[in-house]
Amino acid sequence: MSIEIGVDTGGTFTDLVCRAPGQPPRILKVPSTPSEPSEAILEALAHARREWGIDAADVTRFIHGTTVATNAVLERKGARVGLLATKGFGDVLDIGRQFRKEMYAVKMVSQVPGFLAPGARRREVPERIDAAGTVLVPLDEDAVRAAVTDLVENKGVAAIAVAYLFSFLNPTHEARTREIALELYPHLAVSLSHEVNPAFREYERTLATAFDAYVKPTLDTYLSRLDAGLKAASVPASLQVMQSRGGVASAAVARLRPIRLFLSGPAAGVVGGRIAGESAAQQDLITVDIGGTSSDIALISRGKPMLRPEGLVDGYPVRVSMVDVNAIGAGGGSIAWLDGAGGLRVGPHSAGSEPGPACYGRGGRNATVTDASIVLGYLNPAYFAGGRLSLQPELSHEVIAREIATPLGLGIEEAALGIHRVVNAQMAEGIRAVSVNQGLDARSFALVPLGGAGAVHATALAEELSIRRIVVPRHPGVLAAAGLLSAPVEHEASSGMQRRLDAFGLAELEAALAALDAECEALMRLEGVDLSRRVVSYFADLCFVGQSHHLEVPLAMDGPDPLGALYEAFLSVHDRVFGHAERQPAMLTALRVVHQVWPEADTPPADTPPDAEAFKGTRTVVLPGAGKVDARLYERERLAVGTAIEGPAIIEQADTTTVIGLGWHASVLAGGTLLLTRAENA
Amino acid sequence: MPPALTLSPATTLCGSTHGEALDPITVEVIRNKLDGIANEMQTTLVRSSFSPFVKEGLDASASLFTVSGQTLAQATAIPLHLATMIPMVERFIATFPPAEMAEGDIYAMNDPYLGGTHLPDIYLVAPVFYDGTLVALATAITHHQDVGGMSAGSLPTHATEIFQEGLRLPPLKLRDRGRMNETLLAILKLNVRTPDLLMGDLNAQIAACTIGARRLCALAETYGAHDLAAVFDTLLDRSELLTRQSLAALPRGTFPYVDYLDNDGVDLERRVKIAVAVTIDDAGLTCDFSASDPQVRGPFNSVPSGALAAGCFAIRALADPTIPTNGGCFRPLKVIVKRGTLFDPVPPAPVNARTATIKRATGCILGALREAAPGAFPADGSHSTITLAMGGRRSDGTRYVTGQALVGGTGAHSAGDGIDALETDVGNVMNQPVEALEADAPIHVVERRLRIDSGGPGKFRGGLGISTAYTLLDGELTLTHRGERHNSQARGYAGGGAGAPTNSLIVRADGTREVIPSKIVTTMHAGDTLLIETPGGAGYGDPHERDRDRLREDIENGRVSEGAATAAYGPIET
Repeated sequence: MSIEIGVDTGGTFTDLVCRAPGQPPRILKVPSTPSEPSEAILEALAHARREWGIDAADVTRFIHGTTVATNAVLERKGARVGLLATKGFGDVLDIGRQFRKEMYAVKMVSQVPGFLAPGARRREVPERIDAAGTVLVPLDEDAVRAAVTDLVENKGVAAIAVAYLFSFLNPTHEARTREIALELYPHLAVSLSHEVNPAFREYERTLATAFDAYVKPTLDTYLSRLDAGLKAASVPASLQVMQSRGGVASAAVARLRPIRLFLSGPAAGVVGGRIAGESAAQQDLITVDIGGTSSDIALISRGKPMLRPEGLVDGYPVRVSMVDVNAIGAGGGSIAWLDGAGGLRVGPHSAGSEPGPACYGRGGRNATVTDASIVLGYLNPAYFAGGRLSLQPELSHEVIAREIATPLGLGIEEAALGIHRVVNAQMAEGIRAVSVNQGLDARSFALVPLGGAGAVHATALAEELSIRRIVVPRHPGVLAAAGLLSAPVEHEASSGMQRRLDAFGLAELEAALAALDAECEALMRLEGVDLSRRVVSYFADLCFVGQSHHLEVPLAMDGPDPLGALYEAFLSVHDRVFGHAERQPAMLTALRVVHQVWPEADTPPADTPPDAEAFKGTRTVVLPGAGKVDARLYERERLAVGTAIEGPAIIEQADTTTVIGLGWHASVLAGGTLLLTRAENA
Repeated sequence: MPPALTLSPATTLCGSTHGEALDPITVEVIRNKLDGIANEMQTTLVRSSFSPFVKEGLDASASLFTVSGQTLAQATAIPLHLATMIPMVERFIATFPPAEMAEGDIYAMNDPYLGGTHLPDIYLVAPVFYDGTLVALATAITHHQDVGGMSAGSLPTHATEIFQEGLRLPPLKLRDRGRMNETLLAILKLNVRTPDLLMGDLNAQIAACTIGARRLCALAETYGAHDLAAVFDTLLDRSELLTRQSLAALPRGTFPYVDYLDNDGVDLERRVKIAVAVTIDDAGLTCDFSASDPQVRGPFNSVPSGALAAGCFAIRALADPTIPTNGGCFRPLKVIVKRGTLFDPVPPAPVNARTATIKRATGCILGALREAAPGAFPADGSHSTITLAMGGRRSDGTRYVTGQALVGGTGAHSAGDGIDALETDVGNVMNQPVEALEADAPIHVVERRLRIDSGGPGKFRGGLGISTAYTLLDGELTLTHRGERHNSQARGYAGGGAGAPTNSLIVRADGTREVIPSKIVTTMHAGDTLLIETPGGAGYGDPHERDRDRLREDIENGRVSEGAATAAYGPIET
């Protein structure tokens, strides 16, 4: 018996998915324990053992998606960091790029994360390397010793970030600095900029390095506590963690480079979306995870999650590659309000989960999107979040009447439908922006709604976007946890440079890749995976000479002229993303090697037995463009494979509700996935 | 000559012909889509542009206008561009009245005296038709790399007339019913130094307008051209109403403010006065620049749209930020400029360096508004960009061109300190990384640090400028240094101190020191070092009232020295 467990920690719930050969996956949710997230994880495990009679000794994989890194930043609870910089450049973090996000602001707020290492915890070190990688000023080792000692003894720092100019071209000074720091304090956490983010532009590299140092002690403590908890529970599997690019790594390796964990949870969700799409034979997907305060949008093209070279963490540009997950400030808790001119507005303020929508009965006095869903008849008050939360629909009616319908002179259902139309328009624009940025046309994609509220909005959103296919995963509320089990073990190594592509030789390329291959292989050996099943892929970051924003381009080494093919591939990606590509000289800014070992092919889950009637009756709902109609009501878990349903219909299940609009056709596929399609002429 | 020109974007479409009550939900749905369309145009514009100006500096903007020439939606871009589009669109409508516009037309112009602001900014306007009806106008503006004239880049700081600044285009048809104007293109290509870049960037502008048109047509198909026009009117009326509600919260009266540019780049000894009188009354907000200095010989003149841009920024800054930005916001605004002055120069006065003037004019309006509503506006910020243009030749004969845009600190306000080194007001360009500059040019950056003690002291301290130093390693270099705030400091408020002025200095290889008088064109040789200290923002409130913990923090973090702290803030321990 070989049991695999995936656990994803969310803000409200911790989800566990358990898979055993030949059996359908089992899922459970327990409330999250934000102050110490490992408690909820161990509680979920204990629950699984009790309820399902699992023997801990059979657990061969234990994979985790965590928000600890992100939360440390959002709550400013990371480590005290000391920053070492080149003499003359100690203030890189405060100077930033001098650009502001709010066009019309006059009371300015800081646009840079100076909190990571304020002036008092920064030290300048005499050393200098130039743009050719040549040492102009040798490292002043005594100054390093004095600075590290001072920072540790007098400033109480627990981690040191080192970001010297041009270290990505010549890492010797940074490497020596770490040696000195560890001679003095063997247990000090040290992050070096040429390792964290080997690429030019000192602000972005310093920022990434400081973030890495900031979350490192926190992640160390957290992951070792969780690991110890699993050992104590007699789980033999070593803990693995999802990384921001969508691959997993052993906790022991992941904690060395915690900056790669900021999108741990969302990346798992995207992988889950890919699996769901595959089960419906769809490879081009847009996942939309609608949460309480925001929604996450991601793209999967030809079965691969789209990556971006730089993402935002708490609004700051963190330059490590990650799945292209974009948050927009609209979700189920978004508040509908009237402005001074009588305009109906939705968001950006949210009722969050406390007090939450009015229907939660926790004192929420604002009309939210979820309240509108209640009024429109989409949600079953007695069957929300698996029945854990009993909603009070009368409060939704009251609040929408009072806040929106009466002042606007509208009927209450009209007002609720209005709230949905507005928030759907916002989400649709958000989705369109994400696809435009990747140079892709949203219309040819299938929508994968995730989260508790995704499937409520799916058909309306798809209509806004002229999308004709929707894939509703069997368990959209726990998709991230399921994604953990389907992701590859992945390690990545890269090196930065500034070289014209036409002056780069094949032998040099092969040597650089071989060094990175060796680095990845060493990491892979720590994972205990079967190295013969390893998939190796190469990437290059390229831009045109004169540009400074690069694109990641796949690099195929098997052809006769890898560098020529790379240039052609660059032109094609550039054309897709930017809309043009002239045959001008290109600059090579980084090489990247990725090693992956994919999990054994999933055993197809057993079909849901039609042991009972899925049809539960009808409910009156209000649909856009259709008004008040009787929708047929179904219980998701009783739907037999092959069942066909025509909209309007509602399909209920413990973790979500699927609203099927007029003109949509639903069919139940193997494994319980729902595929919704819209007639061409609808 | 008329004594004064009154500019107002308030060409209100009075008495809407669309009488029916509009569904408030459809209005809001369409508003969200319009914002999305403007931003999609912007993405297209930036992503498909070719020149480093646009790609790295983001110096391009997209917007939508109604057929009557009012802003319908703006992308998040450069406020200066977005506001100067207003008189530009008016000029296009006057030249090509809606009845004569045709599907497939695209109009272009750049002449400041006919509605542009400076020659490198080329404006494009595309009428959008649905089913034969003119629905809206899609516009895109790009700062082009070069439009000819006396110096590469078309920004000569020593120009004394506009003919030296580049090729002037009146409102013309770039595309006529889908057919490109090959005559115009041939003239353009022959008159600029980088024709390929110009064509690439023009195509990006066309692509942006095309995306805007395509999506507006989809909207018209869903909602009907007639209803769409009614929705546009409603959106503008609402933003006007909301802006007036914000204005009503301010006290009535006239509030003057004066500040000075260091000089005009030609007459280096004479400072240039910018004077504004801001009146808040039932009509709205009036910004009168009539008392500013006469036009100058150098290129710091600004055609009237510059003052309008300053006013548009101010009215948007003072009103509630949740108000949707469109032409309705600008209806309560009136800007008055006087013929023959800095803000309404008589041709052929040069105008290419107008950004410095417009930034400071914006600072002046904000300064006047602070007198009206002290809590709502910060003390003076630096409101200036120190611009360096560097054209060099290495000893092996190879050439390079590069530049730097350095900013100072922002003003402190009633609830917080100013921010160090940050772009403000109508501009928003990024700085260049040290690692990019050193890779491009034989220049060694010696330091780039926060400039200690440069923030004006106060209960809330002004933001800091930066200290930076560049040593030329090889060959020689022509340096155009366009400074500001060398002679005039950001003024503190309510007892707060002034921000430090700009200092620029060249230390020659032999040790000779040459102070730079704000603007200069000079030659640097290998071994020469250029030192620049950018200005600080001003303080807000009495420094003695500064929280002592924050003062100690400033000292620990290196923003304030102990000596300066004792002198300006009083005893550190209380």
